[in-house]
Amino acid sequence: MMLRADGLTKRYGEFLALDGVSLTVGEGEFVSIIGPNGAGKSTLINVLTGVIRPSSGSVRFKEREVAGIGPVRLARLGMARSFQLVQIFPDLTVLETLQAAVVSRLGRGTRLFTSLAADREVQAGALEVAELFGLAERRHVPARHLPQGDKKLLDVASAFALKPEIILLDEPTSGVSTADKTAIMETLVAASRRVGLRAIIQVEHDMDIVFAYSDRIVALHQGKVLADDAPAAILSDQRVIDTVIGRRAARS
Amino acid sequence: MKRAFALVAATAAVAVAPFVVGTYHVLLMLPFMAYAVVLLGLNLLFGYAGLVSFGHALFVGIGAYTGAFITSHTKIRSLEVILLAAGVLGALAAVPVAALCVRYVKIYFGMLTLAFGMVFYTFVLKFYRLTGGDEGTPFLRPALLGLGLEAMPKIDYLTGPFYYYSMAVLGLAMLVMWRIVRSPFGLCLRTIRDNPGKAETLGIGVTRYRFLAFVISAVYAAVGGALLGPPIGNVDPTLAYWTHSGNLVFMTLLGGFASFFGPVVGAFVFIYLQNWVMSVVEYWRLVFGAILALIVIFAPEGLVGLVTRRRPAPAARA
Amino acid sequence: MVFGVQKIFNLACGSFYALGAYTGVSAVAWYAGAGGPPALFVVPLVVAGLAVGAVGVVVERGLLRFVYDRDETFQLLLTFAVVLMMEDALRMIWGPAPRSTSGLYLTYGQLRVLGAAVPVYNLIVIAASLVIALSIGWLLTRTAFGRIMRAAADNREMAEALGVDMRGVYAKVFTLGTALGTLGGALVIPATAAMSEMGIELIVEAFAVVVIGGLGSMRGAFVGALVVGVLRSIAISVYPELEMLLIYLIVIVVLVVRPRGLFGGAAA
Repeated sequence: MMLRADGLTKRYGEFLALDGVSLTVGEGEFVSIIGPNGAGKSTLINVLTGVIRPSSGSVRFKEREVAGIGPVRLARLGMARSFQLVQIFPDLTVLETLQAAVVSRLGRGTRLFTSLAADREVQAGALEVAELFGLAERRHVPARHLPQGDKKLLDVASAFALKPEIILLDEPTSGVSTADKTAIMETLVAASRRVGLRAIIQVEHDMDIVFAYSDRIVALHQGKVLADDAPAAILSDQRVIDTVIGRRAARS
Repeated sequence: MKRAFALVAATAAVAVAPFVVGTYHVLLMLPFMAYAVVLLGLNLLFGYAGLVSFGHALFVGIGAYTGAFITSHTKIRSLEVILLAAGVLGALAAVPVAALCVRYVKIYFGMLTLAFGMVFYTFVLKFYRLTGGDEGTPFLRPALLGLGLEAMPKIDYLTGPFYYYSMAVLGLAMLVMWRIVRSPFGLCLRTIRDNPGKAETLGIGVTRYRFLAFVISAVYAAVGGALLGPPIGNVDPTLAYWTHSGNLVFMTLLGGFASFFGPVVGAFVFIYLQNWVMSVVEYWRLVFGAILALIVIFAPEGLVGLVTRRRPAPAARA
Repeated sequence: MVFGVQKIFNLACGSFYALGAYTGVSAVAWYAGAGGPPALFVVPLVVAGLAVGAVGVVVERGLLRFVYDRDETFQLLLTFAVVLMMEDALRMIWGPAPRSTSGLYLTYGQLRVLGAAVPVYNLIVIAASLVIALSIGWLLTRTAFGRIMRAAADNREMAEALGVDMRGVYAKVFTLGTALGTLGGALVIPATAAMSEMGIELIVEAFAVVVIGGLGSMRGAFVGALVVGVLRSIAISVYPELEMLLIYLIVIVVLVVRPRGLFGGAAA
């Protein structure tokens, strides 16, 4: 059992963003969280990644209570994430971004007097991830000069460079053209094997992607878990079809 | 390669200056070198960590007063001891200040640092029994590497041994800062500057790194402050006034905060320009205010940035 | 006000205060020289104070508006540039020696309040500041422009999306803010002398006031000013050395414990 959330609720004044959400993610699973806008997906991700403290409920990562401990400590424990709105370091090059992640992973951030350029482990680690994500050729380009799709890749790649055990991806293919979506997902899946990732959670809107890659799908609606099952079962779940997937999937 | 050549040329020029240029100009080099040390530290905070301190004159003051106290109230004259003490005291003072300030950003950080700077200023001004109030405390001639040099005439001392000593201190300061900036620590600072939220998700503790950068910059400021003392021979509270802090930021911006050598260039240009303007016109602040305005509006990347056409970082819009 | 709407911490507000002070001195001197009745000296004082606030238009249109889309740091530095320029500009125009209106201060005589002799002029200033505070309150809550100001302070993009001309609002708000500063300086002048360090000294006090009261809040500025004023008076009588030190320490405490201040809105 890698990640276990129990009875998560999050209140914003009168508004209940999460209402008793429980979910588990096991070793080797690829779980997709789906749901209409406002269902609470982003809130759930933020609670799971320690950015927001839940009003009640618990989050256990590798048997450790981690609710609200903050992204820094979670990253060190082995949980990484990417963002819906792409987050990069504008003035750092692709390579430097990845190097930062590797430096953090190796715990070398407080080394003040050693040369980064001479650190072979960091250099190799960063280059490896760059190659995995097809960014190696552009590794000296400042992140803000990258095309949008590459920025997205870099965001995800830097999370991967942490060699986390579990990664949460917030809409990894959003803002990307349909042709590129599959390419990104393939890159992601290949990279996760190389990096030793043990579980993936993603929030995703594109149902084709969701059904193509997930082991399990969790459907959220108005802060509650509507369904939590294998893709085939979800496809025949009328409630999910009505609220999330829509008629077309049922027809196809 | 161009940079290495320029650096060597500049070092050579500075080294031969006392033999080539007039005494007056050589004496001007002394505050330049002291300020260059201060600004190297300030830029770690400004250019590399993205935090603008409006109170760094506090640490300059601490360094200067440390030297003044030691020479005025003890028999110790060794500049090595003074610089060490200044650095240590600067670090000690920085710990509580940094601990408080690094949790805030931008305006609030600027304001908090300004407040701390003024606390020190007021303290030094009002407790005149201790500090000499607005008359200040004398900073007597320090001994260099064990040599008393008391007999030397002041000008010879300043343009000779003290000049080269300062140069060595500046050189050492630059070397150390170069290592820091190219280290894993330096990289982490830049991630925090560019996108603190993302840095955190990569496991980089934002406040901790800012704290370290702050303390290091304070040490540099204090050491530079101690170097400011001997040429003037007296240390007074205006060193810690908030406008002095503002000038430090001005100098850094002038040279270019997005580059390593920017602050050094900024210190040089500021000192010389100020000197020249003051000799031509009485109202140098008016001219300098206009220069600052022009830089902020048209050339925020500073002089070095203009030459290398680099984009500034603290304007990061992630 | 400027911070609330424009999110700019104007380091030059102290300089405007000084400008108002010096202009006030000159205005009163001219008035006295022109033979005006002493009792009405406040009139040219106030008029001069308000009028010179027009400098705000020059600063805003000529300098500030180029950096609205930049990082706050650069905006702050630009206001510092204004501080530098004004410091010398004031010295250029009025000379380095302090200026005052000397005798006119006591024209209105004194009153005995609670056993102390209080110059009536002081009471006039207090009354004037109350009137100004109430006027600002009225402006903010009862006029269309005030509503726009509050909207812009709350959410600039939204206000713009609703058709508000931000450039115009910014110009007006900054000028109003400047005029308030210059008026304040003018009003205070009969009681103290106009000195060249006035500007750079005031900003630290003003800064203490707005931090304690809460950046961007009018009520906060009022209460903050009261708090700082009272604390200073207490400190002066009890332990003079501590006077400003106490204020700065309180500022630090406030920034740490409650960065919003007493009435402020945005979090740190």
